[in-house]
Amino acid sequence: MILAFSAGIGILFMAGSYLLMKHDLIRVVAGVVLISNAANLFIMAAALTRGRAPILPLANKLDVSDPVVQAMTLTAIVISFGVSALLLAIVYRVYLSHRTVDIDQLGDVESRQVEQEERTDLQDEPELPADLETGEVRA
Amino acid sequence: MVVAPLGICWAAALAFAALDGRRKRIGWAASSVLAIAWLISIWLTWDVVQHGPRTMVAGDWEPGIGIVLRLDALGALFATLSLGVLLAALLFEVFGGVRSRSFPALVLFLATGLCGLFLTADIFNFYVFFEISMIAAYVLVGYGEERRNFRASAIFAIVNLLGSVFFLIGIAAIYHLTGRLDMDAVAQRATIAGQAPALLAATIIFVAFSIKLGLFPFHFWLASVYTGTRPAVAAILSGALANIGSYGLIRFGGGLLPRELESATPVLLIIGSLSILYGGVQAISRRSISQVLAYSSIGQVGYILLALAIGPKAGFSAVILISVLNALNKTLLFLSENLRGRLVAGAFVIGALSVAGIPPTAGFLSKAALIKGAIDADYAWIVVLVVVGGFLSVFYMMQIYQRTFWIPETEEEAHHPPSPLDRRILVALLALLILAIGIWPQPLLALSDHAAAALTGGGR
Repeated sequence: MILAFSAGIGILFMAGSYLLMKHDLIRVVAGVVLISNAANLFIMAAALTRGRAPILPLANKLDVSDPVVQAMTLTAIVISFGVSALLLAIVYRVYLSHRTVDIDQLGDVESRQVEQEERTDLQDEPELPADLETGEVRA
Repeated sequence: MVVAPLGICWAAALAFAALDGRRKRIGWAASSVLAIAWLISIWLTWDVVQHGPRTMVAGDWEPGIGIVLRLDALGALFATLSLGVLLAALLFEVFGGVRSRSFPALVLFLATGLCGLFLTADIFNFYVFFEISMIAAYVLVGYGEERRNFRASAIFAIVNLLGSVFFLIGIAAIYHLTGRLDMDAVAQRATIAGQAPALLAATIIFVAFSIKLGLFPFHFWLASVYTGTRPAVAAILSGALANIGSYGLIRFGGGLLPRELESATPVLLIIGSLSILYGGVQAISRRSISQVLAYSSIGQVGYILLALAIGPKAGFSAVILISVLNALNKTLLFLSENLRGRLVAGAFVIGALSVAGIPPTAGFLSKAALIKGAIDADYAWIVVLVVVGGFLSVFYMMQIYQRTFWIPETEEEAHHPPSPLDRRILVALLALLILAIGIWPQPLLALSDHAAAALTGGGR
């Protein structure tokens, strides 16, 4: 059982990390979803015990399963589900405003913008007396 | 009473989610609700310092079964700080006109998450409130709804989601080791757990909080997010949300896993020093003000790690001082980023001097506490590093001051008419606060000592 759990978590995490390296934001989101599910499985694996359902009144307190793990996993599943939906919404807004979800193209837009900013910064800067200059090289 | 700020923010957030936050009146209403929550948390801080921590078990369950909420001086201080920063940022936007309808509600949701996070004494609950704050923050980064805001939001959400997943794995590992979720029991049982697995869990949690703080090897997302988002949101990220990282490091490292923290001292020292040097050098090489401030944030959190490595005696109160003052400095600087006028220039200088740690500004206190702790713990080289870091920050802060504010009067007025008066007054008030703390430091020093004592068990 331990081997099955670790193999399952390992494969999920590996596939998720692989998708994270992709250049398509949708795939990156899929990778994040896989990794968060690996975490959910990890909680189960960390403390899952077999036993009767833990519902009061208990006949024998010893052979019940640990309810805390299941509660934690359920909460984590709900949270990761909600966050994944939100992440997809954010990626959709990126697509609407850029018409692309390719990381390289988004990076190009970003670096162009930064470059432009630095340039307007230079134009804005009025001439200062030479002794106030910090000795920067002007482009 | 302990849950009052949390409850008020939560109820108000739900109500304001349905309203159009762009309208001036709604913005004012949201600000006043947040102000009430802030005032209550100030009162709670005072009360906790006077009478010791307040504990409450949710739903009247027995302790050990129900979720425990406990407010001690550490949590109360961070809650007050974060609510104050959120209030300043919200007022800043309300003065200038809120751009999207959900902004006030999102700030209130973030306040809810942060209040809960600083209040809870249950590690899984910590994760839940952590996620509530982060979800609000993911959307807030996209505020402004321009192309760059959305890009920043996507980067921020993907990277920090991975951080949250790491944190969740760390929580599960701690539960596996100790079999408990409430912090007191975890702290007790962690001492008898095996060294190697406990160290692994501690490392995973450390990575999660380092991603949040933007420490050196985990900083890659920070610059593009801080520059891509609007100044008010950047102030929220560095003044309120980064508190999760510093509070988490000191609560989990100092409070729950002190043995693991001690064994990690060399790593903390190395990462902290690299952060300071990397952030400082990168900040010097940048021209635009938001880039400089973003890299400066990476440098400043390095000091937190150095103080954490010094140890419980002198280090922990220094950690608290550094985090609080850094949050205030960065809020002031990010908010004054796009403003012009003499009042703002003066405020900016105070913020800049405070980042560099020059008296009489408040930043001097944190540097002094760190240097004192380093000398007590026989780390002479930390003193050198702090001084070098201080020089770097004077250099880059004065560089942007010169470029932005120190330009001839007539030309400035032609290019940039002074910004709206209410925004300038808000920034000036923040600067006055930093100056006041620097001149009359006793209250904050006493508070941070008290908070550090609460952490190590002395203040109970």
